Amino acid sequence: MKTKTESKRQAILQAAAVVFREVGFERASMSDIRERIGGSKATLYNYFPSKEKLFFEVMHQAKELELEAITGELDADADDLKRELVRFGQKFMTVLYSADAVAVRRLAIAESRHSDIGRLSFEQATLPIEKRVAEFMRKAMKRGNLRTADPKIAAIHLLSLLESELLQRVLLGVIDTVKPESLSGAVRRAVDVFLCGYERR
Amino acid sequence: MSKSDSKRQVILESAYRLFRAQGFGGTSMADITTQVGGSKATLYSHFPSKEELFVECMMAALENYMSDTLKHLDASRGDPTEALRNFGASVLNFICSAEQVEVRRLLIAEAARSGTGKLFFDKITALRSQVSSFLAACMASGLLRRDDPDLAADHLGALLEAEILEPLLLHVREAAPDEKETALAARRAVAAFLRAYAPAAPAIKAASGSDAHLRRVPPHEL
Repeated sequence: MKTKTESKRQAILQAAAVVFREVGFERASMSDIRERIGGSKATLYNYFPSKEKLFFEVMHQAKELELEAITGELDADADDLKRELVRFGQKFMTVLYSADAVAVRRLAIAESRHSDIGRLSFEQATLPIEKRVAEFMRKAMKRGNLRTADPKIAAIHLLSLLESELLQRVLLGVIDTVKPESLSGAVRRAVDVFLCGYERR
Repeated sequence: MSKSDSKRQVILESAYRLFRAQGFGGTSMADITTQVGGSKATLYSHFPSKEELFVECMMAALENYMSDTLKHLDASRGDPTEALRNFGASVLNFICSAEQVEVRRLLIAEAARSGTGKLFFDKITALRSQVSSFLAACMASGLLRRDDPDLAADHLGALLEAEILEPLLLHVREAAPDEKETALAARRAVAAFLRAYAPAAPAIKAASGSDAHLRRVPPHEL
């Protein structure tokens, strides 16, 4: 068996991302992916023992790259809480509503009962973001910028509000791509409502 | 129920079972005809396409349930807190049930694949518009601040689902929440919603003490 290389691994992941997006997790086969990159099936399986593992790696890689970028925006010590939340919301929504992320999310939900990908997606994408946002909320509450409440609940309320205008439409495929202006409008409205609900008065 | 209605009901029930067992792609109109009996022509006279039949039978339970649940929302009763809590808990009890979670997964899986998403979305929008009407009435009578009632309905829905739905959809948790849990999630969602949509300050003053609930939340809901 040849030594595995990172560049080969990356090439497989890129090819797989394209195939999964084009035909979906269910219909994609390891052969499709192998055809796209060339080489033998044995090599492919040497890198990724199953389609499921490969799918998850594709998904994880895409999100992992941006997770820090998304939550890194959040600074609880900033004076302008609203500006901070709008900036974060914009980044969060831009990543989450990219065509790739939407395809991955649909698959994670659709396949969650037959594979581990729903759980993995929750543990590696949803939870870390929730935790990071909850930490922000806790600090903002401590500083007196937000009313005292359970920071975890405040975090999921914010995240859910951010998605409120678009989630159904996008998951049901009613709209394929979200225009940047409708995204920023939704973010602004969600942050306004969140702050009305959680700001100290 | 007329003969035609009861036939329709039988078709919906059989189709529902088949779609859930075999998926949308794995179920044909011929399969459904075999299951129901009668001719394919009869089936098509009730449902012009497999897509429409799929949407109808997947949404039937939700629509039935919601027609009762929406009765919680009666704008003539004043203070919307109780109504919204009861409505919210009732919606959560239903959509978090194992069966409805599975239905929702199937909807999401098929919506993009088969182009049925728009049909689903129209049905969901019709249900939401009844929530919007209630919120619009509350806004008109000064119980809530004036804003786009459809947007407010989206915000309310998102807050209600926030705590429980995603882990269920992603199969991170299996057990449906009990009524205590849904009631608590609904209370917290409604508390945040009512604060966010509380009337502007002068209206609060004018309404005297009756609006205290909009601003003060008991500690156990925080």
